[in-house]
Amino acid sequence: MRIKNLHIGYIKTLLEIEELNLEPGKVYSLIGANGRGKTTLMKTLIGQIPSLSGQMTFNEKDLTTLLSLDKSKLFGFVNSRFAGVSYMRAKEYVALGRSPYTNAFGRLSAIDEAIVDQSFATMEIEHLADKFTEELSDGERQMLAIAKVLAQETKYIFLDEPTAFLDYSNKKKVLEMLMKIAREENKCVFYSSHDLEMVLEFSDVKICIAKENNQVSINSARLDLNFLLNICFQD
Amino acid sequence: MTRQKQNKFLLLLLLVILPIAFVCHFAAGEISISWSIFSDAWFFFDSSNTEHIIVREFRFPRFIMACLAGSALSVCGLMMQTLFNNPLAGPYILGINSGSSLFVAISLMTGISIFQSDFGLVSSALIGAFIFGLIILAISFKVKQGVSLLLIGLMLGSFSSALVSVIQYLSEANSLKMFTMWIMGSLQEVESGQLPFISVLFLFGMLGSFFIIKPLNAFVLGETEAELLGISIRKIRLLIIVFTALLTGLITAYCGPIAFIGLAVPNLVKIIFKTQDHRILLPASLIIGALFLVLCDIIVQLTAPWIPLPINAVTSLIGAPMVIYFIVKRLAQ
Repeated sequence: MRIKNLHIGYIKTLLEIEELNLEPGKVYSLIGANGRGKTTLMKTLIGQIPSLSGQMTFNEKDLTTLLSLDKSKLFGFVNSRFAGVSYMRAKEYVALGRSPYTNAFGRLSAIDEAIVDQSFATMEIEHLADKFTEELSDGERQMLAIAKVLAQETKYIFLDEPTAFLDYSNKKKVLEMLMKIAREENKCVFYSSHDLEMVLEFSDVKICIAKENNQVSINSARLDLNFLLNICFQD
Repeated sequence: MTRQKQNKFLLLLLLVILPIAFVCHFAAGEISISWSIFSDAWFFFDSSNTEHIIVREFRFPRFIMACLAGSALSVCGLMMQTLFNNPLAGPYILGINSGSSLFVAISLMTGISIFQSDFGLVSSALIGAFIFGLIILAISFKVKQGVSLLLIGLMLGSFSSALVSVIQYLSEANSLKMFTMWIMGSLQEVESGQLPFISVLFLFGMLGSFFIIKPLNAFVLGETEAELLGISIRKIRLLIIVFTALLTGLITAYCGPIAFIGLAVPNLVKIIFKTQDHRILLPASLIIGALFLVLCDIIVQLTAPWIPLPINAVTSLIGAPMVIYFIVKRLAQ
């Protein structure tokens, strides 16, 4: 996926990205203070909000012309929190990730079933499959939400602050899992986070939004914590 | 047995209960009629025989209407609850019935003869349901919170009932009586000749609902998530409103505004089947809705010699304690 001269915002330009290539097998992190447009950027990338100008292409194809069904096979999105749905079991929830592929009545084929089971296995949460989503902990539900997006079999996975509601060990677990998915399943993972120390460890490319002028910088090199603090959070 | 198979088995079991309910419903009528006369009424019909006429013109249409009304309102309630992501939603609470009532009041009491026909009554109920459905849908774009939406539905309801009172005040005694009878709710107004027409519209709305099972399942996660799963939410929203208006309007036209079923049955179904999969919820609401209203009508028939209860009162009298019991039981677990 290639992004060029992209202007993002609602009426006024909030962010501008000159050039960014999102490659499979890599993990991208997005860092910036509150209200700097992290969520807006992600929603623009997955096509929920139109961009103001610029290009987004996938295999030379303009992404804005994509149908919503095709988009759903390319982009998966995970919210910062999945609160659970009453009467819905974990397996039912993950199976909804197959919606773009199932027939008009949403019937799961044997292949669909196998992919759902595989998603549970990849996330190492097979033991949760029969539990009700409302009864799970926040950490378990976040793993479940990622399993659903895996079942959706998208090349790109976007996550909006996936660690915001988790305790330390769960934060680590989720981010380790994201690294594993990118490496082993050759997916492109893109997440935003305020957990700076972890971002330094668990991402290949760090996209920083500077607090001073909303400049977007893209860093593939190793960074240190002070650098991030200076750019993103200092006035 | 896997959970899915269990649920399917339970559905089948409920389907078997329906003929039993028919037998009870038939036997509960005020004038007792033997089963041999019942079969004679179909195979050796004698138009001078009162009992034959009771079977063909009263008992049978009444049972069919109880089934159709119960299942239509339950399925509508289920779809509303999914669309608005709120277990308290239903065609009655959101004011869709009120839309029908208002338009029926206008058509019955303005004295314009074309409206007084069968066709006029149905079409005004349908138009009313559809317009109020669209109003609620339009408001739901602005108001995201479920509770406010329900309040607005209730406001729509009282607004239209106020308008209805004004119309009632201004209308003549004859049409006023017609309207008052209608609004009490009854399953006995339908003649056997009208059943085919009603069934066709019912089937249309019901089949339509079955064709949006997959989007309904995605809507359970909220509209944004549904869109990310490739569902075109504008189209589905409109379809849900169209099918709901069609089914609610149809039933309201012939039976009057029947409260509570649309709210109670889908919740009951979710508590029994413990799933959010509409492949189970939709047929289950259909069958349990029918059974529920048939049961209510059996009670209406049994108590008729002493107190003439309107069907509307019985649905709430039985339904409310039942739902409270299930909710308390669930919370206690």
